[in-house]
Amino acid sequence: MSEVQLSFIPKFEQSERIRVLEARNQELGTNGMRQFDDYGDHRCWLNIGPFPKMDELPSTKQGYRMSSEQWGEDYRFMIENMEPHIYPCETIVGEVYWEIGLLRPCGTTGWKQAPNADEIGKLMDEALELGGFPNAYGHTCPDVEILLKQGFDGILERIRSSLKLYTDLDNKRRASFLRGLEHVCLGCIRYIEKYAELAEQLAREPGESDEKERFRRIAKCCRNIAHKAPADYYEAVQTVHFAILFDRCTGHGNGYGRLDQYLIDFYRAGIKDGTLTREAAREMIAEMYMKLRGQYFSFAGRLEDGSDATNEMSWVALEAYDLIGDYNNLGVMWHPDIDRDYYDYACDVLARHGESIPVLINWDLMYESELRSGIPASEAWKVVYSGCQWYCIPGQEWCGHDTSEIDMVKPMMRALKRAAEGGADDFESLYAMYEEEFHRTMRAYQAAEAAIDRVRGESQPEMFTSLIAHGPIERGLDITAPRGVDYQYSSLNILGIPNVADSFTAIRELVYEKKMFTIREVYEACMNDWADNEIMRQRFLNQPKYGNGLSEPDEMFVRVCNSTQEIAEGYYNQRGGQPMRPSLFALMSHVEKRAQIGATPDGRHAGEALAHGINPQVGCSKRGLVPLATSAASVDMRKFQGGSIQVDIQPKFFDGKEDRFSYIRDFSIAFFRQGGQQINLHIMDLSKLQDAIDHPEKPEYRNLVVRVTGYCARFITLSRDYQEDFVARVNHANMN
Amino acid sequence: MDKKLLTIDVSHGTTHDGPGMRTTVFVKGCPLHCRWCQNPESIHVRNEVWWDASSCIGCLSCAAACTNDAIRPLPGRIHIEREKCRSCGACVEACPAAAMLWEGQEYDLESLLREVLRDRTFYDQFGGGVTCSGGEPLLHAEFVEAFFSRLQEEKISTALDTCGCVPWENLECVLPYTNYLLYDMKIFDSALHRKFTGQPNEKILNNLICAASYMRSADHPIKLWIRTPLIYGATATVDNIRRIGSFLRENAKDVLERWEMPAFNGVCVSKYEKLEQKWDYDGMGAMTRQQIAPLRKAAEEFISKEKVLVSGMIREE
Repeated sequence: MSEVQLSFIPKFEQSERIRVLEARNQELGTNGMRQFDDYGDHRCWLNIGPFPKMDELPSTKQGYRMSSEQWGEDYRFMIENMEPHIYPCETIVGEVYWEIGLLRPCGTTGWKQAPNADEIGKLMDEALELGGFPNAYGHTCPDVEILLKQGFDGILERIRSSLKLYTDLDNKRRASFLRGLEHVCLGCIRYIEKYAELAEQLAREPGESDEKERFRRIAKCCRNIAHKAPADYYEAVQTVHFAILFDRCTGHGNGYGRLDQYLIDFYRAGIKDGTLTREAAREMIAEMYMKLRGQYFSFAGRLEDGSDATNEMSWVALEAYDLIGDYNNLGVMWHPDIDRDYYDYACDVLARHGESIPVLINWDLMYESELRSGIPASEAWKVVYSGCQWYCIPGQEWCGHDTSEIDMVKPMMRALKRAAEGGADDFESLYAMYEEEFHRTMRAYQAAEAAIDRVRGESQPEMFTSLIAHGPIERGLDITAPRGVDYQYSSLNILGIPNVADSFTAIRELVYEKKMFTIREVYEACMNDWADNEIMRQRFLNQPKYGNGLSEPDEMFVRVCNSTQEIAEGYYNQRGGQPMRPSLFALMSHVEKRAQIGATPDGRHAGEALAHGINPQVGCSKRGLVPLATSAASVDMRKFQGGSIQVDIQPKFFDGKEDRFSYIRDFSIAFFRQGGQQINLHIMDLSKLQDAIDHPEKPEYRNLVVRVTGYCARFITLSRDYQEDFVARVNHANMN
Repeated sequence: MDKKLLTIDVSHGTTHDGPGMRTTVFVKGCPLHCRWCQNPESIHVRNEVWWDASSCIGCLSCAAACTNDAIRPLPGRIHIEREKCRSCGACVEACPAAAMLWEGQEYDLESLLREVLRDRTFYDQFGGGVTCSGGEPLLHAEFVEAFFSRLQEEKISTALDTCGCVPWENLECVLPYTNYLLYDMKIFDSALHRKFTGQPNEKILNNLICAASYMRSADHPIKLWIRTPLIYGATATVDNIRRIGSFLRENAKDVLERWEMPAFNGVCVSKYEKLEQKWDYDGMGAMTRQQIAPLRKAAEEFISKEKVLVSGMIREE
C-alpha cells in the first residue's frame, strides 16, 4: 500500500490467490496494458494491439451503413473474435480487448456519418457557440437482473418473437433493429462458449489437480450461462461480469445497479445449501472488481415498501473492496432508516482507505427527484446511484447522463456585453438579460440535440445496453432512440454556476450598489483578462463568495441554480417530448475548457479552471467544511439530477478529533439531513501527492487512487493538468 | 442591552470548545491580558484595523485613503501607527484585496442567530451546539443572555467559555440558559495571576464558588468544565496545578464534569505579527510527554482520573 493514504489496515486477510490477482491487476494498471487516456485509466480494455480482422469486418466488406443492424453485425464479429484467455488463479474470466468505437464510427462522432451530417454539424456549431454541447453518447444504467433471470436464451427468444411480429407487420425499421440485436445476442453467446471450450481443453491437459478443478468449474459455469440463467452464486457473479464486459465493448461504461439486491437470492441459496461461504462470496466479488475498471455499483437504499434495503450482500460487496482496496466506484445510499452498523462500516472503509470509496449518497433525495420528474413510485424506488453524480432507474432510463453540457459563463458574458452596450440600469435588468441569453443557449441546444436524436438510434446505438433494458426488444427500438425506454428526459451538466453566482454577487455590489465601476468597465476588463486592472480584479475577487455559509452569495447561488432549472425544464427533447433536467455537475470540462473560457467578474483570470459542479471555486472556500456543506445544501437538490461536494482533506485535519470514522459518519449524515446529495471524500497527504507528480516512478505511488470528479483513477496516470487541479483542491479544504 | 455584539470570528465546525461539533462565537474585549493569549485581537474592545500580509498586493490604496496619515509603507510591509489611527475604516473600504481588515465584525442578535442556526443538523448529529468564547463574552452579558435564551428555545445546546473575571451578576444572568460552563482557572496564586494576566483572581474564585452553588440547585443540568491552559513558566507548574486541584476538590468536585488542560501551542504567533506586537512565547514549541506527565499526576491527586483531560498537541520527546 502506498504511504500516501492512511495506514491501511486490511480488515480481511488476502488469500494467496487474491494476492496474485491483485499484483497482476496493478501491473496492468501501470504498465500501459490497460488503456489510458486523458482521464487516466478510465477505460477498461487491455491493449493487445489493433483488431486483427478489420478487413473481414462486415462494415468493411459491405461498406459502412448508418444502421443498427450493421452495428450489430460488426459488434458480433468483434466479440466473436476476442480470443479467450484464462489467466493464472482467476475464476472470474473475460477481458475486453476492443471497443466498437475503434472499429466503426460511432460514440461521440456517430452522427457525422448521417446523410444530414452537415445540417447537424451546423446546429452543433451554433449550440457550441452559445454554450450548449449535446453529446452524441451518454450514460445510463441497464438492468442486469434481466440477464440473471432470463439468460441469453430467454432474451434471444424474446428478440426472435418480436422480430417475427414486426416482420409480419412489415415494419422494416424495427425488424432491422431486431436483426441487429439478434446478432449482438448471438455474439455474446459465442464469446462465452469459447471460454467454456478453452476451459474444457485446459482441464484435459496434464497439470495439477487444483488447476484442473478450476478449469472444470469455469467450463461448467460458462457452458451453462452462455445460454441459461445462472444456477448459483458463482455463475451469477460471472454473468454480471460478462454483462458489464459486453456493455463496455459498446465504448464506454454505465452504472450497473444494485448488486446487493440482485445477488442476494443467489447468495442466500448458496449459504443455505452449504456450497458457499461469506469468504468465498467476498473473494468472487473482489475478483470481479479487479477485472474491469471502475464499476459503478451501489448498495443499501430502500425497498419498495420503504424499508431499508441493506442485506448481507451489501456487506459482502463492500468487504470485497475492503479486501483489495483497489480502484473502484462504489456507492452507499444512505437514508435515515439505514442499518446503522452498515453505514458505520461504510464510513470506516472510507476512513481507512481514504480514497473516496464508497461515495456516500442521499437515497431519499434521488427518489424524490425521480418522483418529481414524473416517474411513478412503483418504479422510482428502484433508483440507484449509477455514476459520477447521477442516478437512474435501471433499464428504464436513457437520458444522456453525464456527457451533455451547458456552459453558463457564455450566456452570462453575452448578457454583460448587452448591458455594456446599454439598457441595464439596475441589477434586475441585467439578470433578465442573462435569463434571455440562457434561453437562447437552450434553444440552440434543443435544436442540436433533437437533430442528433433523430439519427441516434441508427448512428450510435447502444445495443447490448438495449438487450438488458425494459422496452427495446418489444418495441424494436434502441435504448437511445425516442421511446426506446420510458424515461428519456435530457440530463444536462451545468458548468460554472458558482462562477456565475459569484460574478453576479460582485456585480450587484460593486456596479449597482456601490457604483464603483460601470458594467461596461467590468465587461471590458474581463475581455482583456483584467490587463492593467489588477486592483479592480482584486476588488471583484474579494467580494463574498459562495461556499462559505454566507447568506448573500449563497442566496445568489440558489437563485442562479433555480433559474437555470426553471428555464431548462421548459425545453423538451425529441425523445418523446421529455423535459431537460439540469445536473449540478461538470465531468472534467471545468479543467478541459478553461483555456477557452475568458476572465469572469468573480475575479477569475482567463484560462483558470472553473468551479467544479457545486463546489466553490478553488481558493474561495475559506471558512471550513461545515459552511461549505451548508452552502451546498442550500439549493433544493430534488429539482436537479445530482450534484456532489468534493471533500479533499489532509490527514492532519483529524488532529484533535475523536476519530476519523465517526467524524465522516456524522458529517455526512448532518449534510444529508440538511438537504445535501452526495459526498466524495478523500484523505490525502498533500506533500506526498506533490511528490507523486514529480516522481511517478516510485513504487508507493503505483496504486494511489483518487477520485478525479465523478470517477476514480490512478493518480499517476492522469495528465498533469488534472493532477495539479487535484492538488489545488486538496489544498483548499485543509481547515475545520 | 448592547444592540450589537463585536466578534473577532464566528468559527464553524469547531471541535475544541465544548462537546461535539460547534459554532464558536469569539467575542471581542477581555478584562484579562494574559501574556500567552491565543487571540490577542480579542483583548481590546475597540475595533482596530489590521494588515494581512498574505493578501496585500502593495497597491497602497490604504495609505492614500487614510484620513490621519497613519499608514506607512515599509520595505516589504505596511505599518499602521496605532497612536495615529482613528479607526475610521477608510483604508478597509479602500483596500481592493481585503488585506486591510477590521479585527472585529459586528452582529445584531438576529443575524448572529441566523448564522449559527444554519449548522443545526451538524449540532444534532455531533451532539454539539453553540459556544460563546472570547475575549470575554460576559462583558456583554445581556446580549449573551438573550442569544442563549433564543438558542435554548431552538433546543440548541449552549456553552459559555468564560475567564470568570466579571461581576457575579453577569454570570448569574447567563447561567439559566447555559448547558456547559467552560470556566478558566489559570493561576491559583493571586499575585502571580495579576503578574501574568493583569488582574488578581479573587473574583474568579468567588464566582466559581457561586456558580457551583447555583448549579446544585438549578432547574436544568449545567455541566462544568474547568480549563487550565498549560503555559510554560506560568500555569504549568506542579504547585499551581495542585493548588487549583485542591480548590476544585473542596468547592466544585460534585458538579465538575471535566478538568481540561489544553497544552501550549504556538500557532497564534502569526496574529501577533499582524498586530505588530511581540509575543513573549514566540518560538516555543509544543510540550513534551515528559513535561505533561507530572502535571497530570498532580491533577489526579485531587480530581478523579477520568475527569482530567490533557488536550492539544503534545510532542513525543
